[in-house]
Amino acid sequence: MAFTSWAFVALAAAAVVLYYLVPRRGQWVLLLAASLVFYAAGGAGGFVWLAGVAAVTWAAGLALGRLNRARAALAKGDRAGAAALKRKKKAVAAAAAVLCFGLLYAMKYWDFTVDLLPASVGGRLPRWDFVMPLGLSFFTFQAMGYVIDVYRDKYAPQRNPAKYALFVSFFPQMVQGPIGRYDALAPQLLAERQIDWRDIQFGLQLALWGYFKKMVIADRAAVLVDTVIVENCPYGGAVIAFGVLLYCVQLYCDFSGGIDITRGVARMLGIELAVNFRRPLFATSLADYWRRWHITLGQWMRDYLFYPLSLSKPFGRLGKWARRHIGGLPGKIFATSLATFVVYLVIGIWHGANFRYIAFGLWNGAVITASLLMERRFQSWKAALRIDDKSRPWRLFQMARTALLVFLGRYLTRAPRLLTALTLLWTTVTAPHLSQLWDGTLLTLGLSAADLLVVAAGVAVVETVELLQERGVHIRERLAGCRGFVQWLALAALLTALLVFGIFRAGYISSEFIYGQF
Amino acid sequence: MSPKKWLCMFFGTVLLLAVLLAAFNFVTDPFGAFGDRFLQWFSYDETNNPRVAKTTWLEQHHDEYDSYILGCSSTSSLPVEAFNEYLDASFYNLFMYGADMRDCEKIARYLVEHYEVKNLVLNVYIDNGVTYDDESNGLTHGLHYAVDPDTSALEYFTRYLFADPRYGLAKLQARGEDTILPQTFDVFDEATGVYDKRARDAEPIGSLASYLQAYPVFADYPQSGPYGLYQTASCMESVAAIRDLCAGAGVNLIVVAGPVYIDYFDNFAREDVAAFYEALAEVTPFWDFSCSSVSCEPRYFYDATHFRNNVGEMIAARIFGGDAVWMPDDFGTYVTADNAAEHFAASLEPTPLAEDAISAQVPILMYHNLAEEGDGGDTMSAANFEAQIRALAENGYTAVTFDDLMAYVYEGADLPEKPVVITFDDGYLSNYELAWPILEQYGMKATIFAIGVSVGKDTYKDTGNAMTPHFSYEQAAEMAASGTISVQSHTYDMHQWAPFEDGDGPFRETILPLPGESEEDYVAALTADFTRSRSELEAATGQPVNVLAYPSGAYSTLTQATLTELGVRVTLSTNPGINTVVRGLPQTLCGMLRFGMNDTVTPEALLALLAG
Repeated sequence: MAFTSWAFVALAAAAVVLYYLVPRRGQWVLLLAASLVFYAAGGAGGFVWLAGVAAVTWAAGLALGRLNRARAALAKGDRAGAAALKRKKKAVAAAAAVLCFGLLYAMKYWDFTVDLLPASVGGRLPRWDFVMPLGLSFFTFQAMGYVIDVYRDKYAPQRNPAKYALFVSFFPQMVQGPIGRYDALAPQLLAERQIDWRDIQFGLQLALWGYFKKMVIADRAAVLVDTVIVENCPYGGAVIAFGVLLYCVQLYCDFSGGIDITRGVARMLGIELAVNFRRPLFATSLADYWRRWHITLGQWMRDYLFYPLSLSKPFGRLGKWARRHIGGLPGKIFATSLATFVVYLVIGIWHGANFRYIAFGLWNGAVITASLLMERRFQSWKAALRIDDKSRPWRLFQMARTALLVFLGRYLTRAPRLLTALTLLWTTVTAPHLSQLWDGTLLTLGLSAADLLVVAAGVAVVETVELLQERGVHIRERLAGCRGFVQWLALAALLTALLVFGIFRAGYISSEFIYGQF
Repeated sequence: MSPKKWLCMFFGTVLLLAVLLAAFNFVTDPFGAFGDRFLQWFSYDETNNPRVAKTTWLEQHHDEYDSYILGCSSTSSLPVEAFNEYLDASFYNLFMYGADMRDCEKIARYLVEHYEVKNLVLNVYIDNGVTYDDESNGLTHGLHYAVDPDTSALEYFTRYLFADPRYGLAKLQARGEDTILPQTFDVFDEATGVYDKRARDAEPIGSLASYLQAYPVFADYPQSGPYGLYQTASCMESVAAIRDLCAGAGVNLIVVAGPVYIDYFDNFAREDVAAFYEALAEVTPFWDFSCSSVSCEPRYFYDATHFRNNVGEMIAARIFGGDAVWMPDDFGTYVTADNAAEHFAASLEPTPLAEDAISAQVPILMYHNLAEEGDGGDTMSAANFEAQIRALAENGYTAVTFDDLMAYVYEGADLPEKPVVITFDDGYLSNYELAWPILEQYGMKATIFAIGVSVGKDTYKDTGNAMTPHFSYEQAAEMAASGTISVQSHTYDMHQWAPFEDGDGPFRETILPLPGESEEDYVAALTADFTRSRSELEAATGQPVNVLAYPSGAYSTLTQATLTELGVRVTLSTNPGINTVVRGLPQTLCGMLRFGMNDTVTPEALLALLAG
């Protein structure tokens, strides 16, 4: 069920209306029912996997909770008992991780692995022929985060399987995030609440904004991107770069637009979901970019991969070794840098089973690690050049530099395969054919001049709003304080733009949320 | 503003926009769903959705028709005019692109229940065994709710009132870009319901090699199969329903299996194909044109799946015994349950038509003025001319006329071994005084293209400027009466000579439109000019004028299409080359190539040219 379908709009509207009509004790049940309808609409096959992941992590949570209580009940000084309990906890958490990540691996990476093996071996291995269920990467991460938190005794597990199922399957967010944390999300999902009209207003506004980004900008830009970024691309490097630029626009507007719709619908239900994007164009470094792009994935990786990894014993030993043998700053931060590198590599692989995603992970990991290692040198250069860190030109330079690094990385995620990405990148540098930018070639790529203008205007509107937000303006609250006519104008403009410029003509199949299958 | 008030405003605005959208869609009506009351541009609407727009067209025009043609897009080439003539009826071609047999059944039922129907022609295509009751895009492929019992009026009106406004905007924009000839947005002819093929039918066709170059799809035919003909049973149920419906209502049903391009069959197993058509024969006897030598010839097809209108003429002639239309012997068989198996055992492996059985190589020579002494340029010496004609005669060439070529193309008449066509442009007196006697002497026929305004003149129009003398209508009549010479049109006054004209211009130096001239004005001017040229020439010679040589060889698709509608059957350019004329393809007589002859061309050089 695509967010841009009438079915989704109808489901969301029905859920919101009924949510405030049913007895408050039944509100969470309604959310669960709506989530099941949403998931069932995506096909019954996927439902089994969702139920499987939910069941495994729920059971693991219960078991871990029991072990936590046993640990608390232990007499002080019972080291042997504590160690035995810890071993048991580890076994339970590891079993859940193996099952859940194993499923994820099987779904996303098994066939890829088989293809990598020599034919004599790979040919004998069975292939994994199931269709990847909707949002598997998202709800698996969300559920495993819960297991790890309970393992760490951060909170008590959820005993009610239905309530837990709601946490794993909450319908607007399960397809593409944001990846929620149990302690932040579950209390909100299970709360009994009465209607706050401001939630409805702000939620609706946020969802409309998401639809604007998705349907007016992303779905339009996609047409050109799909024409240009192909195997044996016949265009010059400048057109290719333009295509990748529009892909950056498409990806951001599609993904963040989808998240806005998700958060908007949740807000109408009185639920505040985690922020997933914070104006990535304004990032001043690649590391900063990853703190602003797909934030909940980054946080998940930080909490459940980076910290455990860098605090683990082998890494501790490695750090000591590096300090002794490498010395200086590099030696000091060697272990941390390696952990950072691993995280970005995993983020890359998380996107899909393909060498280009591995390359994407390597690219981000390499740039960020290198910048960590070089930081002191950069500082000394800056001092020598008397660059004021806080000056606007310097900030703009940083933004441009970051955007360029992101842009280069996007060749890898959009091209159909790694070799194509590298070929496109090579062509961009060696055969730009700049004249194709103004000789009319751009108008042969599926978008008319008017379409390109709409994309440009849409991006201008989005970035103007983000600039204001970056300066601390809360747009919706500011707007709510304006005169009625101004509010109406803003609303009418947004709705008219959606109606006139939104891509939702029948026969045009809206590109499904790009992140939906990750 | 309180949030509640804001929400009221939100829903109010949504409602307002919905009303505005519905009103906009109703007025522009890009699918013809509401009768296109304001723009009345059904050609456009039918392009967007032929099913809906043709139904609303019929609601407004059903009294103009009493017979209908049904089927998928290749059905378009079944010629309405020919069927009208043979059956003394008024046909409307109700074909719909992508139509499956369920669509046809619904439409047939609607027609019989609502209107007077004398004849129904049903084209069954092999694809009807692949798709049945296909529920694809409702906006462009949905049926009118009056036709389709499965579509409610509510669903229908919601669909079209709240359609994407860009459809309507596109229609308004297209209105500003509309031209006389069809474009991608208005491919239908409203009055007959067929695809408007005026532009494609005006396109010159020649050798197979050049056609394959222009339409490479035939050289590298796309294979998208294999398809299973799993819907054969459902399709035949619908055909049976149409058969019973017609029998019950006293409607004359003619079932046709239209030509399929031979390579398309490769998408299917041959036994499935035979089973499909045999199943059809079990339901009803039908005229089978599906696979014959015609299927093997790319030039008889517009594209990978659509046979030409000319082939449609052959179909009508075969069904009704018209003998003025050429067609291959194996084209068209009346198939019944009794002979189906035997027929399809053979017909699905047709023998392609040999190139020399359907086409001939015809060079055309273009002369201008002759004189006793040549000028080394366009004016040729009589001696050289005679030497050339003698060389032709001695080398076995026969001068044929355009009537001969037309007879070859339309009726399949034969041409002599080494045909050549001799032509003269402009109508100089020297053609009468010098060329005619030489031609008579060698028994060679020729065609002279006279400029109407110059006939009998030795000064340019009424300007008094002296020019090369031109023969008179009396002289033209004398030549025509001899049977050696045919006098045809070089336009009445569309070959103006700017230096001799009064005023600032622009002048009609060729048949092309003047700069900035509207298409309507141009067509009117061209029509008036040619009509006058033809009527004066026909009055003088008593012979039909249906050949035109383009002044300076220049012309456009609109020129060609306009002249075709005016009855011109042969047009000539000045591009050099040898023509390939093909039986059954009148387009091979469009924009024909000619070798320009001048005083420098020796008889030997001429023979070398003709030898290719």
